[in-house]
Amino acid sequence: MSTLSSSHCSASYSSTFNGRRQRSTKLSSIPKRFVPVKSARNSYQNLVLLQDGAVSSTMTPIENDSTLKKLKDGLLSATSSEECEDVVGFDSNDKNSTVSITVVGASGDLAKKKIFPALFALFYEDCLPEHFTVFGYARSKMTDAELRNMVSKTLTCRIDKRENCGEKMEQFLKRCFYHSGQYDSEENFTELDKKLKEHEAGRVSNRLFYLSIPPNIFIDAVKCASLSASSANGWTRVIVEKPFGRDSESSAALTNDLKQYLAEDQIFRIDHYLGKELVENLSVLRFSNLIFEPLWSRQYIRNVQFIFSEDFGTEGRGGYFDNYGIIRDIMQNHLLQILALFAMETPVSLDAEDIRNEKVKVLRSMKPLQLEDVVIGQYKSHTKGGVTYPAYTDDKTVPKDSLTPTFAAAALFIDNARWDGVPFLMKAGKALHTKGTEIRVQFRHVPGNLYNRNFGTDLDRATNELVIRVQPNEAIYLKINNKVPGLGMRLDRSNLNLHYAARYSKEIPDAYERLLLDAIEGERRLFIRSDELNAAWALFTPLLKELEEKKIIPEYYPHGSRGPVGAHYLAAKYNVRWGDLSIEQ
Amino acid sequence: MAIRLSPCSSTSNTFSSSSFSHGSIPRNSYFPTWASLDYSRGHHGRNFELRSSNLQPLNAVSLQAGVSANPLPKEHVETQVKEESSSSSKSEKAESTLSIVVVGASGELARKKIFPSLFALFYEDRLPKNFTIFGYARSTMTDEELRNMICRGLTCRIDKRKNCNEKMDQFLQRCFYHSGQYSSEDHFSKLDKKLKEKEGGRLSNRLFYLSIPPSIFVDAVRCARRRASSEQGWTRVIVEKPFGRDSKSSVELTRGLKEYLCEDQIFRIDHYLGEELIENLLVLRFSNLVFEPLWSRNHIRNVQVIFSEDIGIEGRGKYFDNYGIIRDIMQNHLLQILALFAMETPVSLDAEDIRNEKVKVLRSMRPLQLEDVVVGQYKGCTEGITSYPAYTDDPNVTKNSLTPTFAAATFFINNARWDGVPFLMIAGKGLHSKRAEVRVQFRHVPGNLYKQKFGTDLDKATNELVLRSQPDEAVYLKINNKVPGLGLRLDCSDLNLLYKSRYPREVPDAYERLLLDAVEGERRLFIRSDELDAAWALFTPLLKELEEKKVMPELYPYGSRGPEGVHYLAAKHNVRWGDLSCDDL
Repeated sequence: MSTLSSSHCSASYSSTFNGRRQRSTKLSSIPKRFVPVKSARNSYQNLVLLQDGAVSSTMTPIENDSTLKKLKDGLLSATSSEECEDVVGFDSNDKNSTVSITVVGASGDLAKKKIFPALFALFYEDCLPEHFTVFGYARSKMTDAELRNMVSKTLTCRIDKRENCGEKMEQFLKRCFYHSGQYDSEENFTELDKKLKEHEAGRVSNRLFYLSIPPNIFIDAVKCASLSASSANGWTRVIVEKPFGRDSESSAALTNDLKQYLAEDQIFRIDHYLGKELVENLSVLRFSNLIFEPLWSRQYIRNVQFIFSEDFGTEGRGGYFDNYGIIRDIMQNHLLQILALFAMETPVSLDAEDIRNEKVKVLRSMKPLQLEDVVIGQYKSHTKGGVTYPAYTDDKTVPKDSLTPTFAAAALFIDNARWDGVPFLMKAGKALHTKGTEIRVQFRHVPGNLYNRNFGTDLDRATNELVIRVQPNEAIYLKINNKVPGLGMRLDRSNLNLHYAARYSKEIPDAYERLLLDAIEGERRLFIRSDELNAAWALFTPLLKELEEKKIIPEYYPHGSRGPVGAHYLAAKYNVRWGDLSIEQ
Repeated sequence: MAIRLSPCSSTSNTFSSSSFSHGSIPRNSYFPTWASLDYSRGHHGRNFELRSSNLQPLNAVSLQAGVSANPLPKEHVETQVKEESSSSSKSEKAESTLSIVVVGASGELARKKIFPSLFALFYEDRLPKNFTIFGYARSTMTDEELRNMICRGLTCRIDKRKNCNEKMDQFLQRCFYHSGQYSSEDHFSKLDKKLKEKEGGRLSNRLFYLSIPPSIFVDAVRCARRRASSEQGWTRVIVEKPFGRDSKSSVELTRGLKEYLCEDQIFRIDHYLGEELIENLLVLRFSNLVFEPLWSRNHIRNVQVIFSEDIGIEGRGKYFDNYGIIRDIMQNHLLQILALFAMETPVSLDAEDIRNEKVKVLRSMRPLQLEDVVVGQYKGCTEGITSYPAYTDDPNVTKNSLTPTFAAATFFINNARWDGVPFLMIAGKGLHSKRAEVRVQFRHVPGNLYKQKFGTDLDKATNELVLRSQPDEAVYLKINNKVPGLGLRLDCSDLNLLYKSRYPREVPDAYERLLLDAVEGERRLFIRSDELDAAWALFTPLLKELEEKKVMPELYPYGSRGPEGVHYLAAKHNVRWGDLSCDDL
């Protein structure tokens, strides 16, 4: 198999680009307070490699002949080097730079389950710079040893069965430290800064803060970090998790507040769905294959479906969820982001800004959602075989009369030349009969189908369908009509398929690994820009307001069912059938 | 989605029998004279249905439709009814009978293909209720001896199924032998007498399968026509290749045949057209939306039709040396595949409509030029201790034979759809693998975004659609996608459909399908006279030139990948052979 490889950890030569290939014109407007100028320039290098390397930024970008030479060497080797094995890449200039990753809210669930394991996986695969420090920051009192204990207990990550795991783990844990403090105390952050400096030992320091804390204290933490613990000579970046507000206003307010302390390119709004392997692959499929692009428009595509389902309910997390609901929790961010990637025009390049520009254009071409294009539902309790599954309102953290939707289906339209009239259907729900996330592209029927004469009208329903299954069991398949082998002529819909498990024996990295690495390297492609976020909220805010003002009662569906019937009527309105609920599935 | 007609349920029985006995489905009329009615249009010998989950041929009744469902002369009913067992195919078949005469019954083809296929059709209840099989050849043989011979040759695809022996006995009881000269009208008269005996006064349809050397085709046809044709039913003659050696001899043969037969009685068999792949080619093209938009010079860079055998001529030398690979494989099998691939959408799936389109393709092509062709011949080769013979080592081949055992050729179709697209063909014996496939290589992605990251290689990693018939039937589409993992590496992988895993049932032999079609009068897969003329017109000038100039074939070792000249031929048109790269399934 011909493999076109580009190493991605071999970022050594990227520093030679300092100041050479800047693409952002906004840089001049960055408040200088938080970011040293040099690192700001540095962070826009983007290069030969997708995951360029802000990591390896030396802060003394002296350009001379030798760096140019190095650049050439790097380019040559880049095509053949193996993923992440190119540790050498860090050697040349990492001696004097370091990355400190501070997990703010280190005792939380997300930190334990996702962030630390992802960091360890990156370390195991030699994707982190040679010198790095991981700091846990939270209110609870803990020693370094206790943190390490906690971290090591949950490192049941994808690689825990590989060789040397124990040894690597030891090495990793030695780099982990804990600092206890209040999220809104500048003093405590100053203490953190002192400790960080100790570990950085005079190297050029780059700092990444991962805010794994409730949104109401985002701003305080950002303020403290910015004022008291930002890097003096390297870059400082902050990863923020959803929710990014509840609607246009609160989101704008949050962005506004963040921007008081951070420049746009320091804010990394994470949407972990964008780190999923197949979401990444979506662009590759579209833009590196000839056969898909000609089909990618209203001329051939009848509708597109984005489906998210979980087979469990809120299970105690109701307190957070009830305040947001499924539309804010899944649709407005994850599904809409995938939609934008799916529908965008071909970007000028694969650079983050170019891609995000195209995504914004898609979002801005869409009409805000109307109430009649939405169906909401809430699961009710259901007894099956002696087991009783609770209703949403049975959750102790949920008010008894909650109208918060746990299921929603919506039809969206993109009013541009490519997509005019094509329904983009979204469906997201909890406590359904299956779990999974997939994109389904249903093609139009074959005009004047020759075989129709022999089969009646049914064949117009047996249209081609491209399915990209994001999780679980990653796969891509294309449903085609073909002939059943044998005498006589019988047609059958079968799949041209690619099952990842069968083709790629390696485990697929967790979305968080990719995103953390991207943040370290300053690759912004998979993070959400402020204007994207605004555009996304603009689509949903009127609807959300209306739902709440009119107190629309969700359609109840049994826990573990296929969701409210209303979803079918919504689809039928646009002459569409849900692909995931057909009998074939 | 299937239209289910359960063969066991009483409803389907009543449905089929009643509808047929009422004659409410005017399937097919019988043809009382030799020069029969215009039979070309509107004949649907088969019923079409969508797949049912049960892989059995549910609608056996309707599938066999055709020919035997003649209006029932009332007086025959009573006598027939006694004989009827309660099967699903009943009275509608009772009044007519089919006699199949295999002329050249002692030959290899008859033993290996024709009789086994007839048995397979019988086993699957595809033959009419009343049928008789007669072997006709010069050697003296009793019925018993013929049956013995057939019995030994019946190592067909179904010999491991249940009831095979029982069915075999039933089948053999219908087989008879008649010895006679191929050019003796007397002997055919005797055959006619025997046939009449077996037909027992029923409406008789007769199918002659000429499995004899071409030099005696016309004699045999004359005798059969004059002495043994059916008086009230139809008479059809299946003719095997070679259909002449060039335009002139082919035209003569056709003229000879047409003295005694009219066009729609001649069934020129090209067993390649009975392959599952070929049947599926049309289904893929015309019942899927996703392929047709790509099916033109805009998206397809080249098409390759490849046929290779890993054995030499092995005893067939005498015949082969007179014809060579171009006549034996290319001019018929491969060219037919090409025509089906490249034709415009026919008005309907009727035989005449399809064949009209095929002729148009052939006539849009310019005759082959010497410089568009590479010929080769295999030479001896010793590998380890085994030594493989050269072509000229065959005792029936002259030592200085220049007959090609390998040929590669480039065609162009000068119409709006295909202008400038090279169609490459390879046919060869004594190669390293046994392979038959069609490869469609698509153009590169214009302005490929990923190219910036990978250098120029990506333009070679274009999409490719492969329809493979041997070994292991499969359809697959090569696409570029991302290798799962943190970096961005692209990889060429396959969206595939392996028949073996999806359809566990064996695929019927091509001869079964073609015999059944001939019985049912379905001409779609047989070659019409004007098609044959057009096909010869493309090759005759080249063949003449090769022979006149005594062009030396390039020698290649037995079991190799063929002469190197093919690469230069392909390179001339900026093409790479898909099958010689090593990244295949």
